Amino acid sequence: MKHESVETNAGLLVILTLAVISIGGLVEIVPLFYIDDTIEEVEGVRPYTPLEQRGRDIYLREGCYTCHSQMVRPFRDEMLRYGHYSLAAESQFDHPFQWGSKRTGPDLARVGGKYSNEWQVQHLIKPTSLVPESIMPGYPWLASTPLDFSDVEDRMIALKRVGVPYSINQQELEANVERFGEETAAMLDINQAEDNLIAQAQQENFDGDPSFISEMDAIVAYLQVLGTMVDFNEYSEGEFADFR
Amino acid sequence: MAEFWSWITDLGNSKIVALLLFMGTFIAIVIYLFSSSRRSTRFESYRYIPLDDEDSPMDPNAASGDRNKGEKQS
Amino acid sequence: MSETAATAGSVPASTAVPAEQYNYDIVRKFSIAAVIWGVLGMAAGVWIASQLAWPFLNFDIAQITFGRFRPVHTTLVIFGFGGNALFATSYYIVQRTCQARLYGDRLALFTFYGWNLALVLGVISYTSGITQGREYAEFAWPLDILIAVTWVVYFWVFLMTLMRRSQPHIYVANWFFMAFILATALLHIFNNLQVPVSLTSASSYSLFSGVQDAMTQWWYGHNAVGFFLTAAFLGMMYYFVPKQAGRPIYSYKLSIIHFWALVFLYMWVGAHHLHWTALPDWVSTLAATFSILLLLPSWGGMINGIMTLSGAWHKLRTDPIMLFLITALSFYGMSTFEGPMMSLKSVNALSHYTDWTVGHVHSGALGWVAMITFGSLYHLIPRLWNTKIFSLRLIYIHFFLATIGIVLYIVSMWVAGIGQGLMLRAFDQYGNLAYTFTESVVFLHKPYVVRAIGGGFFLLGMLLMAFNIAMTILTARRAAPVADESRATAASAS
Repeated sequence: MKHESVETNAGLLVILTLAVISIGGLVEIVPLFYIDDTIEEVEGVRPYTPLEQRGRDIYLREGCYTCHSQMVRPFRDEMLRYGHYSLAAESQFDHPFQWGSKRTGPDLARVGGKYSNEWQVQHLIKPTSLVPESIMPGYPWLASTPLDFSDVEDRMIALKRVGVPYSINQQELEANVERFGEETAAMLDINQAEDNLIAQAQQENFDGDPSFISEMDAIVAYLQVLGTMVDFNEYSEGEFADFR
Repeated sequence: MAEFWSWITDLGNSKIVALLLFMGTFIAIVIYLFSSSRRSTRFESYRYIPLDDEDSPMDPNAASGDRNKGEKQS
Repeated sequence: MSETAATAGSVPASTAVPAEQYNYDIVRKFSIAAVIWGVLGMAAGVWIASQLAWPFLNFDIAQITFGRFRPVHTTLVIFGFGGNALFATSYYIVQRTCQARLYGDRLALFTFYGWNLALVLGVISYTSGITQGREYAEFAWPLDILIAVTWVVYFWVFLMTLMRRSQPHIYVANWFFMAFILATALLHIFNNLQVPVSLTSASSYSLFSGVQDAMTQWWYGHNAVGFFLTAAFLGMMYYFVPKQAGRPIYSYKLSIIHFWALVFLYMWVGAHHLHWTALPDWVSTLAATFSILLLLPSWGGMINGIMTLSGAWHKLRTDPIMLFLITALSFYGMSTFEGPMMSLKSVNALSHYTDWTVGHVHSGALGWVAMITFGSLYHLIPRLWNTKIFSLRLIYIHFFLATIGIVLYIVSMWVAGIGQGLMLRAFDQYGNLAYTFTESVVFLHKPYVVRAIGGGFFLLGMLLMAFNIAMTILTARRAAPVADESRATAASAS
């Protein structure tokens, strides 16, 4: 075949180009869905509760990913600074992933439980009041804006469609009880989403203001669960090396 | 021959197979482009395409001539 | 070939072709849009750079905080400035090299309004917090659909114009544009697979999660660079460098090799954005290997462009447009060397997550993409309006402002990125971390100030260009008050 046949035939040019550009993606992406080694099997990773998920939505809305990563790499300095390196399993329910690409601020993959709720609230409202050198913007409106959770069920249904194991009927609920335990399974039930959200916000009172459920409640709930689902004390040192 | 096929279809060897395939294609393209000086001259004549259009107003019948020279009819 | 290229601003009288021969109107519209979005997008960039240097600029106002405004900047410069410039030049080049009028005037007009409507709505949605949270693909799902439809129409217009060409050969610039159109369609569709919360909600959740989602996103993300910001701009290069130099491209055979190698290799390298993450090692190793290989076709393109000028180097002394084009190619060569180096896992361990990446992106985006676009637009605008450029001297000033801006930007980001990377991995004599994260943030202040100033220089150059182009168009319209229908519409679009 002469190269001129490509140069003089637009259709051929289109088909050949399509073929050539498809190979790379096919080889690298498709196997990720089929190779078992891609995602580790660990105990404890569960979908987000309705309140945490709404917090995650706010995390996306404010563009936190433009400055914070959620991916601890397996280096000595990062493990000293942030904790155990991140596992693929830990973001398996993240639609979309928020691994990030830039650390203008520190990594947040394991920020959960590192600071108190009060610290997080204060820091989000005015970061320099706690870290004078910080260049993070303040987010005071989170504390004053009531959380909109009218569509939380729709959101969970959408997430269920993309594969998150929220339950909508008895059968799925039982499967979740089996997989995550009774308490967690109840939180993942779409039918009780609103009640669960309100209950969690009132019970834990993340923003310190019990009078209403604010966006601050949701985002702090999300931050406090980040990286806390897997108990790494249960696993030996080299446990996850095969998956790297 | 059967041995060859079993080796080449074994996914464990896919890296080498892919490397040979891509490398081979690349080398073939290079040889194709540079082997014959006649082909070479022919290719280099296409360099002038952008300079050929130097704003020569088309003849009044350009529109119809256009279509005749188009790909579908040729 | 002709006197066209002899001096930058001069245009042969014969450009006064009847409006019916080529559809210049659509090219004019896209060119003006590119300049406007360029000014706005770069201003947004200087703004967010200043926020990092002086965080009080966030003012506690949700709509203008860094997190919401950074997508505004990236979207406006990539899709607003770059995208409109690509529409303009591809529509111009495909007509000129095929010697055929653009197919479907109305369809082409649809691509103009569809594309720019998506941009306007995108900016509004980002600032009000509607985003997908995927870098460079933040558009909400209704806008994704609008973009997809626009893009398919664009493909159709481009393909049908190729089909009606009167020149038997499809010139190499058009191959690059075609590859860019196809790849962008593929990437856009697969990276934006998502399930909306409801038909009345702008929110949606991506189809994939975690590691697969990360791979899809960076397959998209890097090829937005590879095809949108590289292949397509190479198409621009393959037309405007020979045109401006008045000499044919250095080697056609080289262009064949580097075209196929480039479009093949680019699609493999996205995973180098995910080194050392939870992505399986085999993927990132593969991506690193292909990233190194990619150096060859990249430099093939650079050599092909620069060598076009061989034997006519003196043009660089007299022609500021040529200066823009050749400097762009030099930056292209530099950043396509830096890129493979940063994709090495050992280098990436230090550079990733730091400002080195930001600097690298900008040496490509400002040095290559913006510079080649400036050169092309300066070549294009006088021809579209059948006039001379308002001021050659302003082009010179623009060139020097832009170059100073880029150098300040890149150097400050090297200092910031490498400095922070080294600080974060430093240990004291007892094996404890030597610096807290906060200490590295303090260190970043000075480089951030320099970066903002560099960006300011670049923006200033862009403003000069906008002024120069506006004056060129105004002068042209004053000289020819009896403008035809299409001219009038073009003017109203400005």
